[in-house]
Amino acid sequence: MLDGQIVQLPASILFAALAVLFLCWFFACRALRRLLSTAQPVAEERDWSVPTIDADFTGDSLFHRWDVRFKLVALLGFAILVVATRSPWSALLACGFSLAAIATAKLPFLRSLRRLMAISGFVSMFLLLMPLTLATRPDDTLLMFSDIDWLRFNLRGLGLALSIAGKACAVTLLMEPLLATSSLPRTVEGLVKLGVPEKVAQMILLSHRYIFVFLEETKRMATGMQVRGFQWRSNVTTLQVAGNFLGMLFVRSFERTHRVYAAMQARGYQGRFPAPFYFKVTTGDWLHAAFWLVTGVALLCFDRFGGF
Amino acid sequence: MHIADGVLPLSVAAGCGAVSLALAAWSVRSTDGDDLPKVAVVTASFFVSSLIHVPLGPTSVHLLIPGLVGILLGRSAFLSILLGLLLQSLLFSFGGLTALGANALMMGVPALLSGLLFNRLRGTSHKQNMLIGALAGGSGTLLAATILAFLLASGGEDFFGVMKLAVLAHIPVFVIEALVSAFTVSFLYRVKPELLEQRLGVVCQG
Repeated sequence: MLDGQIVQLPASILFAALAVLFLCWFFACRALRRLLSTAQPVAEERDWSVPTIDADFTGDSLFHRWDVRFKLVALLGFAILVVATRSPWSALLACGFSLAAIATAKLPFLRSLRRLMAISGFVSMFLLLMPLTLATRPDDTLLMFSDIDWLRFNLRGLGLALSIAGKACAVTLLMEPLLATSSLPRTVEGLVKLGVPEKVAQMILLSHRYIFVFLEETKRMATGMQVRGFQWRSNVTTLQVAGNFLGMLFVRSFERTHRVYAAMQARGYQGRFPAPFYFKVTTGDWLHAAFWLVTGVALLCFDRFGGF
Repeated sequence: MHIADGVLPLSVAAGCGAVSLALAAWSVRSTDGDDLPKVAVVTASFFVSSLIHVPLGPTSVHLLIPGLVGILLGRSAFLSILLGLLLQSLLFSFGGLTALGANALMMGVPALLSGLLFNRLRGTSHKQNMLIGALAGGSGTLLAATILAFLLASGGEDFFGVMKLAVLAHIPVFVIEALVSAFTVSFLYRVKPELLEQRLGVVCQG
């Protein structure tokens, strides 16, 4: 309705909008921090905690019973179809499907919220910058502010940024139903059945294991540094300490890992863990996978031919 | 900076995925079975180091260390980076799952080249190694930022504004990465120089 127009607005609206945006961001961050920190005791220094991938795999739901190979193919396929859409409305619709998936899988929304927080920085960069930096096309609607000539708020840019944000949220929300509803070794075994080399699967499992071991080590070393009066500052000494810190982490981790690997080999490890996983395909698995793929294709058709 | 889902055009994301797959296959083939512990260590450390925040004025940046991964692993670096990013995506949603190929190229190719650079130019003295370490670390990050710029620019001129800011934000990171890499190489050179050999056979017997 406003195609190709330039809308003049008083500058006060800009400042009001900025203030509201800043306040929203500030309070949202604070509320989220508080919400997330109630789940664990308040850390005195900083939060090193890493969430587990497969936190709720013991539950029982449509997603938990779903064969992991079908789940991986169907949900990844759905994610790719979502990413292929263009309008913010289909992205919003995709978010709805992802939320429905979380609800169906009976997963806590808090963990998905944490994931959304992780992408919030990158996504808000787009939301803030794209409307202001977009190259102007003849049919774009621009908002201009009376006293400020160089600032043009492009509505097409806002649409583009909203679509990107929506798609990112939709796929991120899908991560929990995809990963948290079966144990990580089972998911990895599913990947192997889908053609991922055994060596890579072993590396995923080993690295995942080591992350938590090394974090413990890191925490211990950080505590030691703190006790000795070290403070992180913006200077070369801090960087030197960080370099030594990393080096020490490599040396210690490598020595420990090498001992563990030798022990594993002594116990007959030959490049794979004997996995007691049995896969049985039912009609339900096919139907569930078909549902997600058909939904994805329908979403894409709606996006391209739905008139938006 | 990790690219989230839905930013890149599908063709670019798919193309990057294909190239990453090919590089990963090559990287897996050149990884010896006995190298697995070392690759797993570096992968996990790559992951953990991204949680280490170095303060920078009022804000802070986290370490990226693609250069160091390359220095330590050589050809296996790409596999390590790919898995590290996969785990970051799975655990935290840092970096989109559908953009994993693009993110892996962005960090993995600089790691491979830094590794090559270090291996070619490394010297025998402490100072020389430190200098080459700084060069490898800094140029690794520089290259990563350049690839990021190209990937974002592939979305068309609408993305140029975001691209410029993303690259500008990396400038202090080059300096930090170069210095941290230099200090880490210097530390390893003094404490456990065999870790800087990209062939593991030497280390295993140590």
